[in-house]
Amino acid sequence: MSDTTTLPPTDETTDVNPVGGIDQAVGDFQYKVDYEFDAGTGLSEETVRYISSVKKEAPWILEFRLKALKTFLDKPMPTHWATTDLNNIDFSKIRYYLSQGQKPKRTWDEVPDDIKKTFERLGIPEQERKFLAGVEAQFDSEAAYSNIKDIVSKQGVIFCNSTEALREHPEIFKKFFGKVIPTGDNKFSALNSAVFSGGSFIYVPPGVKVAQPLQAYFRINAENFGQFERTLIIADEGSEVVYMEGCTAPKFSTSTLHSAVVELVALKGAKIQYITVQNWANNVFNLVTKRGVAHEDAEIKWIDCNIGSRLTMKYPGVVLKGKRARGEVISIALANDGQHQDTGAKMIHAADDTTSVIVAKSISVGQGRSTYRGQVHIPKHLKGCKNNTECDALLINSNSRTDTYPAITVRGDTHSVQHEASVSKVNEEQIFYMQQRGLTEAQAMSLAVNGFVNDLVRQFPMEYSVELKRLIDLEMEGSVG
Amino acid sequence: MSASAAPTLTPSLDSVRFATHLSQRSYLPAWWLETKKAAWNQFNALPMPSRTDETWRFSSLSSLDISGFELPEDASQHIPNLSDFPHAAEIIYSNRQLVARSAVPADLVAQGVIFAPLDEALTKHGDLVKKYFQKLPANLGSEKFVALNTAFTGTGSLLYVPKGVEITSPFVVQHTLSGANKAAFPHTIVILEDNAKATLVEFFVSADKSRHLASGVNDLHAGPGAQLTYVGAQNWSADTLAFQTNSIVAERDAKVLSLNVHLGGRQARHESHSRLLGPGAHSEMLALTVATGDHEFDQRTLQTHVSPNTTSNLLYKNALLDTAKTIFSGLIIVEPDAQKTDAYQKNRNLILSDDAEAHSLPGLEIQANDVRCSHGSTSSRIEPEQEFYLQARGIKPEAAKQMLIFAFFEEVLNKLENEALHKSLSTLIESKFKK
Amino acid sequence: MSSLEIRDLVVALTATPDKPIVKGLNLTIKTGEVHAIMGPNGTGKSTLSKAIAGHPDYQIISGDVILDGKSILEMEPDERARAGLFLAFQYPSEIPGVSIANFLRAAVQARMAEGEELDATGYYKKLYGKMDMLKIDRKFTSRSVNEGFSGGEKKRCEILQMAMLEPSFSLMDETDSGLDIDALKIVAEGVNAMRGDKLGVLLITHYQRLLDYIVPDFVHVMYDGRIVKSGDKSLALELEAKGYDWVKTELAAV
Repeated sequence: MSDTTTLPPTDETTDVNPVGGIDQAVGDFQYKVDYEFDAGTGLSEETVRYISSVKKEAPWILEFRLKALKTFLDKPMPTHWATTDLNNIDFSKIRYYLSQGQKPKRTWDEVPDDIKKTFERLGIPEQERKFLAGVEAQFDSEAAYSNIKDIVSKQGVIFCNSTEALREHPEIFKKFFGKVIPTGDNKFSALNSAVFSGGSFIYVPPGVKVAQPLQAYFRINAENFGQFERTLIIADEGSEVVYMEGCTAPKFSTSTLHSAVVELVALKGAKIQYITVQNWANNVFNLVTKRGVAHEDAEIKWIDCNIGSRLTMKYPGVVLKGKRARGEVISIALANDGQHQDTGAKMIHAADDTTSVIVAKSISVGQGRSTYRGQVHIPKHLKGCKNNTECDALLINSNSRTDTYPAITVRGDTHSVQHEASVSKVNEEQIFYMQQRGLTEAQAMSLAVNGFVNDLVRQFPMEYSVELKRLIDLEMEGSVG
Repeated sequence: MSASAAPTLTPSLDSVRFATHLSQRSYLPAWWLETKKAAWNQFNALPMPSRTDETWRFSSLSSLDISGFELPEDASQHIPNLSDFPHAAEIIYSNRQLVARSAVPADLVAQGVIFAPLDEALTKHGDLVKKYFQKLPANLGSEKFVALNTAFTGTGSLLYVPKGVEITSPFVVQHTLSGANKAAFPHTIVILEDNAKATLVEFFVSADKSRHLASGVNDLHAGPGAQLTYVGAQNWSADTLAFQTNSIVAERDAKVLSLNVHLGGRQARHESHSRLLGPGAHSEMLALTVATGDHEFDQRTLQTHVSPNTTSNLLYKNALLDTAKTIFSGLIIVEPDAQKTDAYQKNRNLILSDDAEAHSLPGLEIQANDVRCSHGSTSSRIEPEQEFYLQARGIKPEAAKQMLIFAFFEEVLNKLENEALHKSLSTLIESKFKK
Repeated sequence: MSSLEIRDLVVALTATPDKPIVKGLNLTIKTGEVHAIMGPNGTGKSTLSKAIAGHPDYQIISGDVILDGKSILEMEPDERARAGLFLAFQYPSEIPGVSIANFLRAAVQARMAEGEELDATGYYKKLYGKMDMLKIDRKFTSRSVNEGFSGGEKKRCEILQMAMLEPSFSLMDETDSGLDIDALKIVAEGVNAMRGDKLGVLLITHYQRLLDYIVPDFVHVMYDGRIVKSGDKSLALELEAKGYDWVKTELAAV
């Protein structure tokens, strides 16, 4: 069946830059998998039709996809403001759909061995037992495993992958799908709309508060692959839900594309918290569009942590549509050699007395580059809106780079908007102090960096914050000197 | 759309008019005439700003109509007197004519100080002008309008202060426009040699309410250890389309303070680029704007730190009334070699009307790690507690509001060493509130 | 002679109009009189003074405040001030960018008729005289209002303003709080120098100490939004000796 072809660490990872490979060690392995369905390489109308037919989709979905494909092809690369590294994506060499053609399993025992091994190695089943209300595990294009604890499903909570949701809950899905992020929002949301597959669908009924987080895990296994999941979360009036996602891929010699679209809808008084720990291998182009709509008194909070990938472009947003709605983005980015974390936040105020908060911290190591882009928009005829933005960048090495590009528009005389950003390096006195107490320079550096992000890391669920600290430690090894 | 079509020029600012302009200046150095020709060609070759130009983000583009303007030929009868503070010497232009010029004090002349109209400077000190003219242009998006300035400029001035000469009394240049559809293209060059110190104050005003076009350019150069203060205050008519482009260069240990006061114009774009070329250089970039009516004030800045141990500090304050719109887009660039940089950038918007709109784009691009950089942007209203405190002392709401607006500006004006100049600018700003 | 009459006054925060803080308070002050209102924290003393001055955070639910026979409730804060009411703030605002000299000039000018010009020489003579009395360094005039002032400096600056603006009624909100004994004496001297037929004072304080230096004609005890006991200066001493619990128990007994 399947040989284990775990990739050995290359010389590069041990000698030239010890940091380079270590952070992805967790996900840097690959098992051979046989795929039943393969859309081949390159993108055309045929590719889109193939995906739609494999998924046995309703005609309106195919139509939606084909329209999106046209939009994708028509839109230029946004290189007038974004990095020209985008031009290195060769859309004709990417495989857009790969699956074994099996329904997602409800128990890990049913999951085919080759795939199960992957998730076991990543610790997913164990985490599920310990602290999750439900898990969705996606392997390349489709979910391999999908389960929700009985206690949660009995409350009426729906948690499944988007392929299933389209078939089984079309009435809810169609009502919200593509409404928060229209196809033409940007080139990559259009691409996703054309070839999307997988991703989570969550519906939380009115008043239901899901006690434990729901989790999705996205795994890319195949080389030259593009993963295009589509997630839609609807929290009905007064409900609460926490969703977490993780992702890894093996380190291939060629680049891989991940381009997701995530839409959140928090109806009146609902609360959604969306936590991402992104640890793609550093040849993955991670180009993701994430946005939520918060209705009256609702609250949407994005906690977004980017450690992996070659280039991430992701600016989670909240449209504050109802009075007193609240939006928050907490962002941590760590850019190491060969990485560009281009992250940020968007806050669109569309009702009175709405509040938004952005806290972004980035760390640039070696030749890493982190970029913050933010948009805060308060259009005319609104009253009493508030935004507070804080961006702090830490530069570790002399050739590290950071950029900050916020755009703030405020109209009217009853608002209060404040943006502050700072750039600094690790305090040498601090490092010396810790070294004097017997820590190595790298340990001291790790402590200092952890201290820099500590107030944000604390907002993560326990299990994630421990993991995050460990990842930061690994990143900092060998970054000094 | 309208974007990159060929420039639409009226018969008066066309190639024929350019040829006439050139032939009237045939007595000037050949390099200068060549520079002008090249600029005219560049102006024609460059497209108008378009939607996708990041340097024009949030700017109104359809209103950038530079057609229908002409070069004025006769000086205006009415020339406002704005230099009501002690000054060393003054040059006043009205409608491109040199209408007044006070002599530079003899002791300064003896020390080699030059303060001359541009055409005279070109004839007598051509090499000096050539050495500094647009050597490091501001390049923040208005290249087309800078080219137009170079092509048509005739009204300008050169201030040259030799090594070690320190002058506290300011030099004044005033540009006045009057009459419908008249255009002005001022170009000012300030050169301070090593350890020199001087202040230049430049006024840009409309003497009537007509439609005007202005595109001004400055080259401000502070040599090693020099201290240069530049104040530019514009009070163009409410129907003026104005561009102003500042290039600031600070060499080792030089200190430059530039303050730009924006009061007039239907649409006023201001670009300012500070380059910190030598260690110890400092640039203080200040601006204050009273945005009224439906006017648009568009300010773009760049602080480029090239050398280590350089510092810069930017503070731009806008007060917005009525349906006015302001744009502040600033960037600090710290180049890889510029370790130990301290760079700050602050934009404060005081929004006084429900229909006023402030855009703020404070940016950082940092490529060196041992730096201290920060930026901040706030957009808010008058603090209600302060308003109440003033009212509780019997001060009427309108007066209290105005007092707090002035208080808001005071932080900027306080950075001027020259008290009389400070007072004069306050009075000028006050006039904006007296309808 | 002027009078300030507070009639059945009920005051709440504008944000929570259904929760009154001052709950039907009656008090009449005449020029020439010094009244002290004492009471435990949270009893509505500061609310009373701010509401009379017209602070937008407070809403008058019912009752009236009458200055020389005319209600002031429809007046804006600045109109009330010009009518002769002065509030010495417990926490004076800092106003960066506005110098004390300019600020006071504007306030004095605002009290003059349209077109009438301030006599600058006379103004500064008066200002410096008052500053000397309050032991305020003349350099202070060029400093921004209250910006970076110590607690004592802020309070002296309030008294300076009162001296310059010559109100007929001064509401002094915890003017003694945060002052050491020397600063307290200076403030008291300043107030005492202004006492006379033309000024009525309402001292709001938590501590009896202030009343050793500014001796009141009347003392009122405020509790739970009302005046529950009135007397002469001996009441203050009694309160000091027995504490506020004494008032509470006495009230409970009634």
